Amino acid sequence: MRRSLRLGAGSGFWGDALDPAVELLERGALDFLSMDYLAELTMALLQRQRLKDPEAGYIPDLPAHLSVLLPIARARGTRIVCNGGGANPRAAGERIRELARELGLAGLRIGVVEGDDVMDRLDDLIAAGTDLTNLDTGDTNFSAIRNRVVAANVYTDSSGIVEALAQGADVVIAGRVSDNALYVGPAMHAFGWRYGASDTDRIAAAITVGHVVECAAATTGGMSSRFDEMPNMGRVGFPIVELDADGTAVITKLDHTGGRVDRFTVKEHLVYEIGDPNRYLMPDGVADFTRVHLEEIGPDRVRLTDMGGGPRPETLKLVVGYEDGWIGEGMMFFPWPDALGRAEKAKQTLGERFERLKLKADAVQFDLVGINMLHGPASPMPDYEPAEIGLRVAVHTASRQEAEKVRRACAQLWIMGPGGTSFGTPMKPRPVYGVWPTLVPQSVVTQRVSILEA
Amino acid sequence: MPLLRDFAYVRSGDKGDVVSVGVIARRPQDYPVLLASLTPERVKALFGDWVQGAVEIYPMDNIEAVVVIMRGALGGGATRTLRLDQTGKAMGNGLLRLEAVMPSGGSEAA
Repeated sequence: MRRSLRLGAGSGFWGDALDPAVELLERGALDFLSMDYLAELTMALLQRQRLKDPEAGYIPDLPAHLSVLLPIARARGTRIVCNGGGANPRAAGERIRELARELGLAGLRIGVVEGDDVMDRLDDLIAAGTDLTNLDTGDTNFSAIRNRVVAANVYTDSSGIVEALAQGADVVIAGRVSDNALYVGPAMHAFGWRYGASDTDRIAAAITVGHVVECAAATTGGMSSRFDEMPNMGRVGFPIVELDADGTAVITKLDHTGGRVDRFTVKEHLVYEIGDPNRYLMPDGVADFTRVHLEEIGPDRVRLTDMGGGPRPETLKLVVGYEDGWIGEGMMFFPWPDALGRAEKAKQTLGERFERLKLKADAVQFDLVGINMLHGPASPMPDYEPAEIGLRVAVHTASRQEAEKVRRACAQLWIMGPGGTSFGTPMKPRPVYGVWPTLVPQSVVTQRVSILEA
Repeated sequence: MPLLRDFAYVRSGDKGDVVSVGVIARRPQDYPVLLASLTPERVKALFGDWVQGAVEIYPMDNIEAVVVIMRGALGGGATRTLRLDQTGKAMGNGLLRLEAVMPSGGSEAA
């Protein structure tokens, strides 16, 4: 059994840079490279693509990324674990097999992990009396959205990834596993950990370090409050976890890359997007972030000890994405002198246009850009005359046609509005996908693993 | 009047309609100021109708940080909010506008 592992964070979101992942593979001496591509909204977007084309629905960038990464990974003996399968891990796996053959990577083993998609079983769940109460709002009326549902995916644990690795996968392509499982899975596989009392704290340690690095550059200086101190962020290094079988770890990054790993950057990500820090709930277990001890042990090296937590919860998070109307949006900018006065008058004029166009809106929001767009009611009014001010309007409507009226009304202010106004390119209406989070029993999900060989 | 910005850094993000803000003491000795300054009442008063639900405060003594959870705070959540700051990344910084409260009845209490 392994004593320690080197795991790299190769992607923090769909759209992340590829060059830091390449550097990690080339120089990181990694056992595993984990790549997260999915956010709450992503599954709904990918499911829509799959409806249009049954061979689509995975992260469109995945083939391009893996065509660069796989040859290096094979040469270095690093295995790649990703959730880029999105809404169609099977099609992604088939595409990557073709790609591996084109690249001459004969014998490459692609592990496909499925089972998170419960779209076809929603009605069975409802018929069986499963409680689908909305976790956020407490709303119990799921039937109100039932006929608008476009995606239903359970955040699954790492058991599918573990199984794929046990079957010798060189690259694992999963769907909506938890982001965190991309790190916990390799650890459980390599160290032979099992759910249950003796490994609970060690699994919680893997959950903790997975959380710390899963947004890649976000723990090496990206998004930092001290960004001004972070060196060469344009060529930032993504983080590496050195995880030991005893459940202690070091977070680090490669030499000669930008950014920084220190006690502060690790703290910044430990507190990021969490709920109660005493109970960070993941499908693989519960981590207690309030007991972690951080220690700087060298340049760009932070040791994490005293990690632990509790056993995995009996329920899993199911996120249902549904069509939820449209948003129409517009922006315009006003120069000194009297920029604020012009903005206020333009706002009033837009309100009149909305009336004339008989706009049917569920909600209308106006923001003064440069004044209160980002902090809302917490923003003080300026005690000086601003050099420029923007006006932003955003409107939620039931239909695309209604949302189009917002674009039209904003464009009409080109001549009907205040002098000196500057408009950018008008914004197209965008469809809205609502997210309905709920909890389901673990037994709802059975993960399936298959190996495709190139 | 000193503001929380003189004592803390923040990182914030979203989970559904919840905005989660990690507030980190600039120096270990600033941590008591965070504990004294961040109460559900003060946070709700600061953001007004932008925070519709409850506010919860979780201290993290081990890293001199406080996690502030604001429910019903994102205009319906990242995917349907009408705000430009869809994930509450900017909103967290707004907390730094709070007037700092010195612990144990100090002179700077708001």
